[in-house]
Parts: sequence; C-alpha cells; structure tokens
Amino acid sequence: MSTKFSTTTRTTPTGPVLVFAGELDSSTAPAARDAIQGLSLHAGDQLIIDLAGLRFCDSSGIAALIAARNLAGAAGAAIALVALSPHLSKVLRLLGLAEIFATHPTADQAREAWAERRAER
Amino acid sequence: MCEADDAKGGGGAHDDSGVGAMFSALLEDSAEDLYENAPCGYLSTLMDGTIAKINGTLLAWLGSRRDELVGRRRFSDLLTVGGRMYYETHIAPTLAMHGEAGGLALDLRAADGTRLPVLVTSTVKKGDDGAAQLIRITLFDARDRRAYERELLRAREQADVERDRARQLASTLQKTLLPPALMTVPGMEVAAYYHPASADEVGGDFYDLFPLTGDSWGFFLGDVSGKGAEAAVVTSLARYTLRSAAVYNPEPVKVLDNLNTVLHQQYRGGDTRFCTVIYGSLVPDDAGCAITLVSGGHPSAIIVRADGVAEFLHTPGGMLVGAIPGAKFAEVTAHLAAGDTLLLYSDGLTEARPVGASRERYSEEDLLDFLAASAASTAPDVISALTALLKGFGNGVEDDTALLALSIPLAEIGDA
Repeated sequence: MSTKFSTTTRTTPTGPVLVFAGELDSSTAPAARDAIQGLSLHAGDQLIIDLAGLRFCDSSGIAALIAARNLAGAAGAAIALVALSPHLSKVLRLLGLAEIFATHPTADQAREAWAERRAER
Repeated sequence: MCEADDAKGGGGAHDDSGVGAMFSALLEDSAEDLYENAPCGYLSTLMDGTIAKINGTLLAWLGSRRDELVGRRRFSDLLTVGGRMYYETHIAPTLAMHGEAGGLALDLRAADGTRLPVLVTSTVKKGDDGAAQLIRITLFDARDRRAYERELLRAREQADVERDRARQLASTLQKTLLPPALMTVPGMEVAAYYHPASADEVGGDFYDLFPLTGDSWGFFLGDVSGKGAEAAVVTSLARYTLRSAAVYNPEPVKVLDNLNTVLHQQYRGGDTRFCTVIYGSLVPDDAGCAITLVSGGHPSAIIVRADGVAEFLHTPGGMLVGAIPGAKFAEVTAHLAAGDTLLLYSDGLTEARPVGASRERYSEEDLLDFLAASAASTAPDVISALTALLKGFGNGVEDDTALLALSIPLAEIGDA
C-alpha cells in the first residue's frame, strides 16, 4: 500500500502543489481524497496536481480528480493538472474532461500560465 | 539416584546438593524411564519392519502386550489398511533411499479396533561399517491436530458456502440490471452480450432497448464507475432514469441532461459517482433507420457498413455523466442501411490486455480493424465474433464488458 501510491503536498505562493505517485485505483483513492480534503485553498489560488509519477489511474482516480476540481471551484481557486501520461490525457479527452481541467507539461508552466491569466485581468 | 550421591561427594554446600538431588529426581534422569514413559511412542524395527523394541506409551495406546508384538509383528501391522499400503509404497522406499522420513500422518489400529491418528518420524540407525541396522520410529498423538484440521476444513466449507451465496446474489442482482431478453424491433436484428469480469461482484455496465412513442425506439449502453453493491445502486438509478427521462422528453441530449442532474444531485455530497453512456434513438424508415446518438464520455460507437468498411461515430466533447453540473453532451446522427450494423460497447473490451505478446491494451482502433477484417455482417454475427474475441483474451479482460448491436438485414429491405 505505502509503495503502491503516495501523495505529498507542497505550499507555494501561488497555491498548493499536490503530487500523486504510483497507482491510483479504488484501493488508493481514499488516500488521494484525504490529501485533497486536507488542502487549504484560498480564493485566487491555483491548485496544481502533479501526476508525473502516476503509473495507473482508473475511474476512482478520475473521481478523486473531479473531487479536487469541485473543492477548488468551491473555494474560488483554479486547478491545473501537470505531467499527464499520454494514456491519461486520452482518457480525460474521451471522458469529455479535457476542457474542465487546465493541463500543462510542468508545474512551472502551469504557474506561468496562471500568472499571465491573472495579469490579463 | 547415583547422581545425587555424586553430588553429595562433590563437596558442595549441603543445601545446594540437596536441591540438586531433588531436581535430579524430578527430572527424568533415567534414560530408560524416559524411553518407556515419554509423552510419545517409540519403536525400533529391524530393516524388514519386524518390531524389535517398543515403549510403554505406545503399548498403552495400542492396548497390546509387549510379547504380542516384539519379534512377531511388523510396524506396518500396527497401521490401518490404507496406512499399511502407504507405508510399503512410499515410506519404506524413502527410508531406504534417504535414511529418514518425517511428517507422516498415519492412523494406528489399536487392539480393540479403534483408530488413533499419529504423526510419524523415522530414521535409520547405521552401524560403524555404515550398514543399516535398525529403523527408529517416533509417533506423536495427533488427535488434537486432526480435530484442528477438521475444524479448519469445516470453516473452509462454511466460507465456500458463503462465497457461493455472495456469487448467487451478485448474479441475481446483475440480471435485474439487464433486460432479460432484448425486445424485437420490426425490420431489425438486435443482439447483446454481457461479460462479467468477476463472479463475486456486480459489474457496473448496463444496456437496454425499449419502444418510445410512435415508431421510434430508445437504446443505451453505459458503464458506471466502480464495482460492487454501491456501483449497482448507481447502475439501477441510471437505467431507470434513462428510461423514464426518454418517455418524458425523447430528445437524446435532454435524456442525458436529465440523467446528469439526477446523478449529480444524488451524489454531490460525498462520493462522486458517475457513468459514461451512449444514449440513442432510432426511427425506422423505408431504407433502414435513422439514428441519433448522444455520448456522455463514452467510447465512440462503430458502424460496420454492408461492404465491410467500419467507421467510428465520433461524439467529441461529450462529458461523463453525473460529475459536473451542466455537463455538455455531443450529438451525432447516422443512417443505417441494409447490411449495416451499429455497435455500442464498454471499455472492458477496449481496455483489455490480451494474453501473451506485449500485454499492450487493446484499443478502439484495434476493435475497428477487427470488425473491418471480420466477415460479420449482422448484429448476431458481430456479437458472436466479439464474444469469441473476448474469450481469447482470457484473464486479460479486467473489467466488465457490455456489447449491444443493431443491424438491418439485407433480405428485409429487399421486400420493402
């Protein structure tokens, strides 16, 4: 279990960075949800979920990502997924979720895009 | 008690030697006494099995006298018939070859005919010249152990019964989520297949085909996230919501809007539950039938044309159902002519990992190629070809798989 999936949270000036690594399925999704529930999100933050180390993600993992999006939305924060595998990108596209999640290759690029969007306002 | 005397002569403190003597007396310092009355049976036989020496404990277990056995009986004579055969065919050869045999569960037959389960260990004693002289056998009373094993067996049988009951329940529940038989649409052939990935859990796939007003029909095929009882509740809710929504407003996009609202409201509090689904309506016409499909995050339907060309009916941008309020759904229309087949499927098929080779997942593209290459040209043919394909995947099918196919027979149109 501990080697199967791990989650770490980092606080940055632009908002929390949540890192999911390993296999996200029905047995590990509760741990992902706990990490999401434990986030402190403020209006104007950008929540970044780093999926570079995620080897597997099934529908319960997708449900956790949606829960994160809903939580961010409720707090007035934005959400961005970074470093998606080609398979996960395809799944999100197939599920029609590509447009509800901003996606970027790296956390830095997500931060730059977020800064630009804020500057435009 | 010679050791006690030695201790006294040893010059130690009198108190100490007194205690030492007492311990020596309490400890079974006599090898002969230990042999006779040990809490296990001891037996020595000649190499042909003839009993040469036997201890009191074993005689008591057997209810025999020493003179009845020593020099007159073989060890195997003390066993039940089955045990005797096992001894001759397995234990004796093992002893001859390896010089020892242990962990053997045998039954002794006592003089009064009762059976006594024992655990037997034997070793061959060799002389200075290396020649085998005797077989030494130790026997432990295994009645408690047998009782324990019987208890384990009983617990196992109980668990088997419970598992069968759970499987029965899962299978029954599954049947309530699928139509017992597909309805017959005039002028069309329909076929469906459901492949459960697990006998223990209810799957999350569902499909149905039902009449709407006038000549039109509604159909759907979907996949609920997760497995088991919780998923079955959503499956049931989705199925009945789709059917009732279609009656209320048959416009396909509205049907999925309705399902999205129902699922999202039901599960917005805690656990997000969602499904992917294709909902369609069909209206038969003179040349076949007109089809409207709406997809909510579901893999694209496939049409296999009469000439064998297979194509996707893409519905880009359709979002999965139940997760997001106001989700958008995409609509696509198509026409089925004589010899055309429409196939809806769940991702249990396209996410399967075929056995052998690379263990790469199967894909929508692979499925399209398979259908184009197969000669299947009717709904029943397509379903049986795919059923065989799934069977070939074996354990590679990790998720439930639902298939629903609709086709226009060539002959029917000729008549029209």
